[in-house]
Amino acid sequence: MTEFAHAAEPPTTRTRRRGRLGVIVIFAFGVVGAVTVMAICGSLIAPDDPHAQNLAVSLAKPSHAHWLGTDSLGRDIFSRIIAGARTAFLGPLVIAAGSMVAGNALGLFAGYRGGRVDSFIMRWVDLMWAVPSLVVIIVVAGAVGGGYWLAVLLLLVLTIPFDTRVVRGAVLEQTPRPYVEAAKTIGVADARIMWKHIWPNVAPVAIANSFLVFAGALVTLSGLSFLGLGAPPGTPDWGLMLAEGQTLLFANPVATLAPGAMIVITAVSMNLIGDWTYEQLAGRGAER
Amino acid sequence: MSSRAAKVAVREAATTVLTVDQLHIDRLRSNRQAQTIVSSFSLSVAAGETVAIVGESGSGKSMTARAITGLLPPALVAKGEVSYGGRNLLSLKEREWRRIRGREIGLVLQDPFTMLNPVMRCGRILEESTLERGLSRKARRTAAIARLSEVGIHDPSVVERYPFELSGGMRQRVAIAAALARDPTVLIADEPSTALDVTTQREILSLIKSIQIARNMALILITHDLRVAFGMCDRIYVLYAGSLVETAPSAALESEPLHPYSHGLLLSEPPADYRMRELLTIPGAVPSPDEVADSCSFAPRCRWAAAACVQAKPPLEQVVPERLSACVRLHDIRGEMAAVRDRATGEVHAAVAISDEPSLIRVENIHKVFRRGNRRVVALEDVSIVIRPNESVGLVGESGSGKTTLARMLVGLEAATSGEIIIDGVSASNWADLTQKQKRRLRDSVQIVFQDPYSSLNPTLSIGATLNEAITTRDPRARNVSARAAELLDAVGLPAAYARRKPAALSGGERQRIAIARALAANPRILICDEPVSALDMSVQAQVLNLLSTLKRTHGLGLLFITHDLAIVRQMTDRLYVIYRGRIVESGTTAAVLDSPNDPYTIKLMASIPRADVGWLESTRTIGTGLPQVSAHSARSNSR
Repeated sequence: MTEFAHAAEPPTTRTRRRGRLGVIVIFAFGVVGAVTVMAICGSLIAPDDPHAQNLAVSLAKPSHAHWLGTDSLGRDIFSRIIAGARTAFLGPLVIAAGSMVAGNALGLFAGYRGGRVDSFIMRWVDLMWAVPSLVVIIVVAGAVGGGYWLAVLLLLVLTIPFDTRVVRGAVLEQTPRPYVEAAKTIGVADARIMWKHIWPNVAPVAIANSFLVFAGALVTLSGLSFLGLGAPPGTPDWGLMLAEGQTLLFANPVATLAPGAMIVITAVSMNLIGDWTYEQLAGRGAER
Repeated sequence: MSSRAAKVAVREAATTVLTVDQLHIDRLRSNRQAQTIVSSFSLSVAAGETVAIVGESGSGKSMTARAITGLLPPALVAKGEVSYGGRNLLSLKEREWRRIRGREIGLVLQDPFTMLNPVMRCGRILEESTLERGLSRKARRTAAIARLSEVGIHDPSVVERYPFELSGGMRQRVAIAAALARDPTVLIADEPSTALDVTTQREILSLIKSIQIARNMALILITHDLRVAFGMCDRIYVLYAGSLVETAPSAALESEPLHPYSHGLLLSEPPADYRMRELLTIPGAVPSPDEVADSCSFAPRCRWAAAACVQAKPPLEQVVPERLSACVRLHDIRGEMAAVRDRATGEVHAAVAISDEPSLIRVENIHKVFRRGNRRVVALEDVSIVIRPNESVGLVGESGSGKTTLARMLVGLEAATSGEIIIDGVSASNWADLTQKQKRRLRDSVQIVFQDPYSSLNPTLSIGATLNEAITTRDPRARNVSARAAELLDAVGLPAAYARRKPAALSGGERQRIAIARALAANPRILICDEPVSALDMSVQAQVLNLLSTLKRTHGLGLLFITHDLAIVRQMTDRLYVIYRGRIVESGTTAAVLDSPNDPYTIKLMASIPRADVGWLESTRTIGTGLPQVSAHSARSNSR
């Protein structure tokens, strides 16, 4: 009985942790907000045309005219970073949203139904996990001809099993709870139980997980572009810029380090926002 | 009684080993005002003496125990004085505490299922608690086996087993052995038997008691159950909303409580040996200590509250020697309280009119077998029961007896392995084979209220949404859904405004009312109540039981009351079935079965009910864990 009394009182540690994260979370939101604006507006807000070549000023150091310097073709790095936000943002967004929808549906179904449905879905998930994803992408992209959206599509398919597994785990924990059984005994339809009863209770996990998926997809897509399997050459893309700059790392470090830093900062910010969102959502409804 | 009088005399001669004076516990919060957990608590206990701290959840009793052992959570701060051996323990550093804990003050906690480290073998747990260095492996093992035999575990192989391989009672024994391993002078037992079955409860309590007597230990028992306290303790401290309201010797408190709260608590605990005319309830729920900081903590729920009660916090004052009460109006209301007690404890003989109406639920020769990998677990074996309309039937058994499995089958959450269930003319052995129409008919006949109101409501849905769903699921074309929801809330005694609240904003009793309202939405003819009050506080239990009785009268509702508590069965049911290890061992009218049980298991159950007389604990001591024989039976018939 005393156990229930503890549950009724909000744990003090959580509020304290939330308070300490405040500044960092604001920073994370700032970064993601800025990247979002850059992704939407693209070259409209860039000081220069990101595609404009000017060999006269190639490999320039950061200056008033070119804030982050220029690359080997004399293109403005700062403008290319702004324009590159689009591929950095759009692909991961599609992957996170798509795998959230599909992964939640499959995870709910597998966890709630159990039995053969569960076995079938989870064996498929196991199979997908056993496949080395990078190899698959390299092979398929090599065979079909590559391209940014192909990479996005392949990553999406490979991410869905990850989401499915996480959501199923959370659903398995909710399904035997008395509130689900109570809904069954008053005759609520299964689809409604899954959507109206179970999903809101696993939502904190599912939504927070999607932020992590976003961050992971950003890094992986950049990696694929770096390997030449993502965005086509010439596109302003952070991963591609890394690849283009790597040979000139010591000649013009900023041109390489700036896109790399953007990838890291954006991914970390997304992870932090994911953690923060989980705390908020999980704190909203008391556990019991 | 004579032994108790002797004990009191001994206590006066004996030295006090531990005193708590003006203990005050606060929860510190970063940006808000500190929250009071315990506002003032004082206690003293002598060697060989047993005292009880009795209180409901939220009274601060567990935090008091933690303060005495220096185990308060980080945000909680204790002030005041806990003196032991000439020192104030509250000023100790963590390193000094380690010399006290276990060696001087031992602690046994409530839940034997989480208290023992699941990855450590029992022998290792015991070795760790003795912490004697330099012993050989063999010597440590011998010591652990000796410790176990002291707590009644004579099987030496237990030292090699993991906690999950043991039953709840065995685990609690191991925990007690660990707590006693370094011969503490004071033992604090925080609800040591609450998570256990009644029969196991008696064994554990009698074990603690016998060790205490043998070692002349001081024992502080923390419990919510007054009857356990009467059976175990010399003196009782009644704690309510963080402050003491009464302290008294057990026998005196049992015969005449001197505070309206102890009075109410005593009357809301139903007796097992006769049916009370009415269960007296205490309205409302326990307030937080800060809400009642400057008034009598019980005033908001007290029927005798007057202006004097809310002007200042009434001090704990001596009424007669050895007895203190914090009621300022005691002299005015003492006679009235006695009158209420006389009226309420008046015995009624239930009009046992076994109806010969055709049965609404008929369960015939049901078997249920669960398969866990290669293991077959027989949950129910050849069970047959009958429930007629408007009838209150009890199903009594301990955990693992299969009683909940039977309930789940009746509402379609499990299918029978073999046998037949017929509800309202529909064969309901396997719901998967039924048509929608048949299922609906079954749902209109039988609904269920689950045990734990903290998890049976969806935390993300408002109360209104929960009830509306129940209404529209039954009748998709229902109109005036919110009016019907308000009606349901009214039927369970809650205001319509509760529809906007979320479960987290409700107390346990209120949540259980909502769960009942949800079941009522289908207008069932029989309501299955699966341990509906076992998760609730004593004063709230009575409210819910009375609500069920009222619904039975006003809605013509039949009840299938599933419980381990014979006292509740006595108050609530006309007929009962006793279930033991998946089999019905005895059935008949409630009064007949409880007054003269025939089956050895029923007899053992009856003997296990906490009672104030000495025989309650002693009868197991001679018999150990086996079924009681003649001596237990005679002890039972000697009571009252």
